[in-house]
Amino acid sequence: MTRRQLITGLISLACAFVIFVIPFIFVFINASKSAAETARLSFALPQEWRFWQNLVEVVQARDYQLLLAYFNSIVITVGAITLLVIFGAMVGYVLQRRKSGWNKVIYGFVLAGLMMPPAVVPTIWVLQGLGLFKTLHGMILIQVAYGLGFCILLFRAFVSTIPRDLDEAAIVDGAKPWQVFFRVILPLMKPVTVTVIVVQSITIFNDFTHPLYYLPGKENVTVQLTLYNFQSQFVSQLNLLFMNILLVTIPPLLVFIFFNRQIVAGMTAGGVKG
Amino acid sequence: MAQVVLKNVKKSFGAVEVIKGVDLTIESGEFCVFVGPSGCGKSTLLRMISGLEEQTSGTIEIDGKDVSNAEPSKRGIAMVFQSYALYPHLTVRDNIGFGLSLARTPKPEIKRRVEETAEILQLGPLLDRKPKELSGGQRQRVAIGRSIVRNPKVFLFDEPLSNLDAALRSQMRIELTDLHANLGTTMIYVTHDQVEAMTMADKIVVLNGGVIEQVGSPMDLYERPATPFVAGFIGSPKMNLYEGKVAEAMGCATYGIRPEHVVISDAEGQWTGRVRHVERLGADTIVHLEVPDLGPLVARVEGSRTFEPGQQVKATPMAEREFRH
Repeated sequence: MTRRQLITGLISLACAFVIFVIPFIFVFINASKSAAETARLSFALPQEWRFWQNLVEVVQARDYQLLLAYFNSIVITVGAITLLVIFGAMVGYVLQRRKSGWNKVIYGFVLAGLMMPPAVVPTIWVLQGLGLFKTLHGMILIQVAYGLGFCILLFRAFVSTIPRDLDEAAIVDGAKPWQVFFRVILPLMKPVTVTVIVVQSITIFNDFTHPLYYLPGKENVTVQLTLYNFQSQFVSQLNLLFMNILLVTIPPLLVFIFFNRQIVAGMTAGGVKG
Repeated sequence: MAQVVLKNVKKSFGAVEVIKGVDLTIESGEFCVFVGPSGCGKSTLLRMISGLEEQTSGTIEIDGKDVSNAEPSKRGIAMVFQSYALYPHLTVRDNIGFGLSLARTPKPEIKRRVEETAEILQLGPLLDRKPKELSGGQRQRVAIGRSIVRNPKVFLFDEPLSNLDAALRSQMRIELTDLHANLGTTMIYVTHDQVEAMTMADKIVVLNGGVIEQVGSPMDLYERPATPFVAGFIGSPKMNLYEGKVAEAMGCATYGIRPEHVVISDAEGQWTGRVRHVERLGADTIVHLEVPDLGPLVARVEGSRTFEPGQQVKATPMAEREFRH
């Protein structure tokens, strides 16, 4: 390692520490303090460590609402990811492999899905018309609609790296089109599928605004919305708020730490051939 | 075993006609090689027989049945691809058994047939490996195994040896020839390598620009080429071909003589030329001459003879071996 590499490495580490680690330490320290101490928002260590008490209090708040929120968020995330992977992979595969005049039209829709900002009120109106407003499956469909464009682009780019000979070999072997997809192509798309699962699950699990608009109701609460429990106009329990932040941050953080190599692999694998 | 009959098969991609009407009969049990330069339509023709490509017009019959519009899997064919096209996520065993499992063959039977095939191709110890753990030659054998296991009526090979090194290629040529002798199945083989065509084929089909130039046995094509293209394509080094005044002087439109049919002597001969370049191959020596009356002339002589660049020599064509068109 040259001196220059060492210095740039150290500077990068220092920046990453300031941007990512210090806020986390701040949240962790303040989640371990009493309400009065946290209100000062200082970096000082707590006089009395109340980590466990705060944790229990957050979990028990509003009749164990956090557990319900975890359940709802997991249902929405798992449901949406399943549909995103299946439909994203299918559409990406067909768009890449079958050349037809419709491809451009479909591709236009995909790009429109990426570019056009979601309009909240009309969406609620549509959801109400379909009887999907304030339902978990309605929320799942919303997340699928928002994420599908990106997934299709990733899958389509990846399919172009899979040799067409494999499809043809399977066809000669007697595979029907759906068997070619499910038995040959889908297993080979594992890297990009992991990428989609990780990126989208973090996005959907961390989503605050969409559940806020489309999923009102106490019984429909998601983890990000539980942050409101400890913040109001007149009373703010910042220590519990920080503890809540800690609890809702940990699952996506773990996913990210364990899968970050695959994310990069899947993102770049499709980049060689467009 | 099955006869393959193509009747006036044509194929166009948009406005470009790549196969301009092919009529061909491949007899049952024959090893037929399609050979020709890149872009001559040989792979397209093979893909039309396989059903992966649809013909624009004409009919294809396999074993007496018109399969022109049948699915690839209903034609009784198996295909070996240039890239092997092994499924990377499956083991050798699953790769070979894939077609059978799609056909819902009972598991014990799949196991038995895969193991039989593995034995024929000496793949037994490799059955539980993934394709990436195999060498090029082993992958090729797995690809062939995947074809054999389905007991097809016709085997189709699309340049299967072009990704192998020279030594392995010559070994695989022998293995494929043995396989054909053992199975006795009709095989259609596409290559641009005329050595493969000459060494393996019962029948060679020379294609050029989407039409058949000539069909015949390897020695037929070598000794009696029907067109200057076939004369130039078959044989290595290629035949010396002359047009224009040289050919007119010989009383034809195209005059040709193979390098091995040119006799080089120091004393006397029909043409006098200067040695430009010498390629010593061991058993043979290829001599490139510059002959004022003809232009460049290539001759093949015994490896023991030596020549120096710039040396003046005499060259004479063997009279009964000349090609006139």
